[in-house]
Formats: sequence, structure tokens, C-alpha cells
Amino acid sequence: MKESLRRALGFVWPRFQEDDDAHLNPYFTFRDHRRTWWMVIVILMTTALLPLVFLTITHYQLVQKSIDIESQLRTERLASNARQAVTLFFEERLAALTFTAKEVGYDHLSQPGYLAEVLRNLKLGFGGLTDLSVISQSGKQVAYAGPFNLEGKDYSKQPWYMECQAHDACVSEVFLGYRDMPHIVVAVKSFQQDGRFFILRATLETERLIQTMSAFKTGPHVDIFLVNQAGLLQTPSEYYDGEARQTDIQLPDHSESTKAMLSADRSGQPIVVGYASIETKFSPTSFVLMVVKQKAGMMKVWLDLRREINWFFVASAIVITAVVILTSSFMVNKVFKADRDKANTMAMAEQNSQLASIGQLAAGVAHEINNPLALINETAGYVKDLFTIKAQYQHDPELMEQIDSILDAVDRCGTITRQLLSFARRLDLRAQAVDLKKMVADVINFHKKEAAYRNITLHVDIPDEIPRIETDRGKLQQVILNLVNNAFQAVEDGCLLDIRAEMEGAKKVRLSIRDNGCGISEENIQKVFDPFFTTKKEGQGTGLGLSITFGLVQKLHGNISVKSKPGEGTTFIVTLPVYAEREAA
Amino acid sequence: MKVLLVDDEQKFALMLSKRLELRGFDVKPCFSGEEALEVLKKGARFDAAVLDIKMPGIGGVELKQKLSLLDPNLRFVFLTGHGSDDECIREEDIEMICLPKPLQINTLIETLHRIVGESGGSEKDKKL
Repeated sequence: MKESLRRALGFVWPRFQEDDDAHLNPYFTFRDHRRTWWMVIVILMTTALLPLVFLTITHYQLVQKSIDIESQLRTERLASNARQAVTLFFEERLAALTFTAKEVGYDHLSQPGYLAEVLRNLKLGFGGLTDLSVISQSGKQVAYAGPFNLEGKDYSKQPWYMECQAHDACVSEVFLGYRDMPHIVVAVKSFQQDGRFFILRATLETERLIQTMSAFKTGPHVDIFLVNQAGLLQTPSEYYDGEARQTDIQLPDHSESTKAMLSADRSGQPIVVGYASIETKFSPTSFVLMVVKQKAGMMKVWLDLRREINWFFVASAIVITAVVILTSSFMVNKVFKADRDKANTMAMAEQNSQLASIGQLAAGVAHEINNPLALINETAGYVKDLFTIKAQYQHDPELMEQIDSILDAVDRCGTITRQLLSFARRLDLRAQAVDLKKMVADVINFHKKEAAYRNITLHVDIPDEIPRIETDRGKLQQVILNLVNNAFQAVEDGCLLDIRAEMEGAKKVRLSIRDNGCGISEENIQKVFDPFFTTKKEGQGTGLGLSITFGLVQKLHGNISVKSKPGEGTTFIVTLPVYAEREAA
Repeated sequence: MKVLLVDDEQKFALMLSKRLELRGFDVKPCFSGEEALEVLKKGARFDAAVLDIKMPGIGGVELKQKLSLLDPNLRFVFLTGHGSDDECIREEDIEMICLPKPLQINTLIETLHRIVGESGGSEKDKKL
């Protein structure tokens, strides 16, 4: 149960180097698989999520923009329709007054009874008229019909009167006037037969006008009202009604057509404002029709859309993240396993090679020991002969000489055995001061006989200035032995092997092992350090020697390189630090 | 019986020659192939030659060929420091007798008697 859970988790959280892999660390291709894993995830996530984020933001902006445009258009349309209705409202009444003034004429209209008759008929036709009056050119009211007794009043200073003189007709702003009730004055100018003009004036209740506009209110978030040029409310407004009756919307300059714009109300809420100046064909008015729409009311569509976009984004991000993590984990797991297998193989191969080289060494040593042993054998045999064959063994000086000879041969065996032991010592990385000259001499010692038999000239040049280097004795010995072995296998009998050392700066020693053997071809020189690469016949070489040497030099924090020319020979160069570096733990 | 002994280990050669002399052999020890060739060129003749296989300069196998040219009747015994020396196997078309070091002196003496006796060396022996 626990194991299956662990395996399932392995798909998401890969296994990395553990403490028990520590001995394999030098053989891993990737130093830190965890870091590789993180990097793969970050890179993949970035490449996958960035376009998604970009698309989502663009989509947001597009939707918002189109919603803004749509709401502006709608508001504009609404304002346009409302304007037509309001304009028509005033035009109808102005037309009726104009008709009455021209048709009936000043003489009849200035008779109060007749004027009252006209007012009654107009009320039947349109409704919403409070009173009707005729004003002479001097501004004095000459006739009045209506509920208030305003006869004889002088209107010559009233703004509507002055406007009427200028334009033949006028529509006043909403005002309270003498009656203390909001009303609008509409008036038309007409001429008498004697050339003087008179003005027919009617007072309109605002109630009708408000009803006309409220027919266009399409919902609770819409406000339609009239303001004058200064922005003062002329009809009631849902949002701006208050003591001041002043809207705070900044209107642009006078505009013939309907316009809409985005703005914000007092509390900062976004609104759409549509506006249009009211102009009748008889005269301009000071009214501006305004449609204010709370954007919040139209936001529902946007909010729904945004929720959908958000869901899409979150779901995509989750799927992408899951796929990225699963893929990365899977790949890094595979890479890690392959890498660990490789490291295992390398570690095992090094061990095998160590065993093999120890075996080789043992055989060499056995051969070396054989000669002194043969000598012991003969000397001891001779001593025995002296005892058994010759009678006069007492006081024989030769006897002592032979016994010395035996002891001498035994001493030679002891030296070789000691060398064998120092060679076979287990190869943990233990830094100690090593005399390179002595070590090379030790290694060469094992090959002296072979060099003599094969007429190979050994030339060693290690100057005394080379300091003792802090390194692992066993590993360095194996590196040198492997390289010398390699050179011995590469050269023909009678060739030259040159080993020299020199300082490279103050902190590094360069050891070069040069032979004038067959050399390595250019295509093979790339591969000499690859594991299992060999040019020897099958069964004669494992192809691991140089690869292991390479690993060992790396363990010693050094470098190894090779230069070669076919037919001219090969040089291996090992660079080692003089002072041991601490293992990066 | 006259025996030529060639081995680069001088002490070994001397010791072995002394032991053989104690047993009635007439031994000429040499310490290199070149020295042995010189001895034969000067006219000395032997019944058998005991050669170390691995020697600096002229090795045992090469020396055998050169000595045979000088004295076709010479018989050979080889000595080897290796337990199994592939030099012996390589020359298996020619009759090669290889004895391992350290030596059993009796084995060497038996071998010498055998090879010299087979090829009529016993006649020379009788003359002595």
C-alpha cells in the first residue's frame, strides 16, 4: 500500500540523489537533478502560461472595449429618441401658438373673453397649458386668460421676452415666476396690420414634459432629465436631485447631434452619459437632454463573461501545470535513472578495473619475486649440497657467504612485497603529501624489467623544484600506472617513453607522459576517454582503462588531456592542484 | 657432460653452476646471450645449453636459434620465471623443454641426461 503510494507520488515528485548514492556522485553527468527538474518546470511553465496570460488579458480588454462601445451606442440611441420626443413636444405647442396668432390676429386675441375661448380649445387639443396672454410690443400684457390675475404686468425685462423679440419664438427655462410653480413659457411673435408686433405667450406645466421623457426610461439604472446650459436641473432626476439641483457632469461644447461618453459619478461609479441640445425649428432652447446610465446596470453581461474567462484561464492553467509537472517528472525520472545506472556501471567498472590492475600487479610481482626465490632456492640447495656432499663444511668461510646470499635474496623479496602492499592499499580519497618523483620511480620500477626486455628507453625528468603535492596517493599511483601501462601497450619494442613534470603557475603541477608509438587517429582521439571505447582486439581490452583514469583525475580535482599524431606518438597531460581541495560536501 | 648455462641473474647462474659441478657436470656460466655467443664463437662446444627465456638483449628463444647455427648438435633446456610462459607455447613446432623457476635440481639433471642421451651425447660421455 505504502509502496504503491510512493510510486504514484513518483510521477509527480521524482526521486533524486540520496545519501546512499553519494559514492556515485563523481560519475553523474548532471550534478543536481533536482535543479534540472525545477529548471525544466519553470521553462515549460513560462513558455506555456505566458501566451495564455497574454491571451486572457487581451480577451479581457477586447470584451470590455466592445461592451463600452455597445453601451455608448445604446445610450446615444436612447438620447436621440428622447430628444426627438422633447423637440416634438415644444414644436407642437409653438406651431399651435403661431397658427393661433396668425389666424386669429391681435384684435381678437386682445379681447379677454376671446382669449379664454382660445385657451380652452388649446387645452382640449394639447393639455398641459395653464394660461395664455397677449403682450404688446412695449412688453405690457394686454390680455390674459388663466387662473391668475396677471393683467397689466410688464414683461419687457423678462429674458424670454427679449429672446422672443430676437427669434420670433422662444422657449424659456423652467422657472417659478410670479406664481411660485415650476413652469415653462413658450411664446411666438406675430405682426399686427399696422406693422407693430405682439407676442402670444402660453405657460406650460412641466408635468407633461416629464411624462414624455419618462416614457423612455427603460430600466432602474437609467435617468433621463433636462438641464440648462449651465448644468442646472430643469426636470427631476433620480441621481442628481438635491438642494443644489446642479449636475456635476462636465459637458463638452454645444453639439448639434446626440453624443455619448464614459464618465464617473460622484461616488466614482462608472456611468455612460448621452446628451443632446434641444432645438426646435422655431427657435433654439437652452435645454440639454441628458441620459445617464449606471454602468453597473450593464455590467452583468460583462461580469458573466469575465467569470467565464476566469474559469477558462484557471482550468487551462491547472491542466498545463499538471501536464508540465507530470512530463518534467517523468522525463527527469527517466534521465535520473539512466544517469544513475550509468554511474553505477562506471563505479562498478572502476572497481573491476582496480581489481584487474591489482591482479595484473600481483602477477607482475609474482614474476619479480620468482627471480630472488630461484636464487634462494639455488643458494639453499647449494648449502644443503655442501652439508651432504662435502664433508669439510666446518669452518668453511664459503658457507657464511652463501647464508648471506640467502638473506640478501629474502630482503629483495621483502622489498617487492612491501611495494605490492603499498599498491594494493584501498583507494579512498585521502589527501597526503606525495613526492611525485618517488611515486613515478615506484611505478617505473614495476616496468623496468619489461622495458629492458623490450628495449624501451625510459626517460624520466622530474625536477627537484616540484613540491610535494597534497593528493590521494593510491589514486594518483593508479593514474600514473594506467597511463604508463597504456603507453607500454601503445609502443613497439625499441621505442621511447618520456615522463616529465613541470609547474603550471604556483598552484598546479603538469605531468606529461609522452611516447613515440603508433599515435591515435583524429576520429578516435575524441573518444579515448569514453567508457568501453577500445581499439584493441575483442577480449584484449575492456576499453575502461582511460575512462577510469579520467574519473580518477577528476576525483583528484585535476584535468587530463591528450595530444596525438598518428605515427608520431601520443602525449597524455595530467594537471593536478598542489594543494588538496576540500570535497564540495 | 658439458653444459652452457645462460642467465642474467648472475648469482643464480653461479649458484646453479656450482651445484651442477658438485654433481659432476662441466658447467660454463654466462650472464648474457652475447657472452654465450662469444664463448661458442671461440670454439667451445657443449652437449647442452640451459637458457633463461627472458633476458635483456638477446632473449632465450632468439639465442637458441643463433647457438644452433654455430653448433647444430647442441640440445636446449629453457628456464622461465613465469608459471606459464607463453613463449614456450609459441614455439611448439620445435621441441622445447621449459622448466619453471625455482628449479628442482633433480628435474634439471634428469632432463639434461634425457636430451643428451637421446641424441647420442652418451657417446661423448663415454669418451670423457
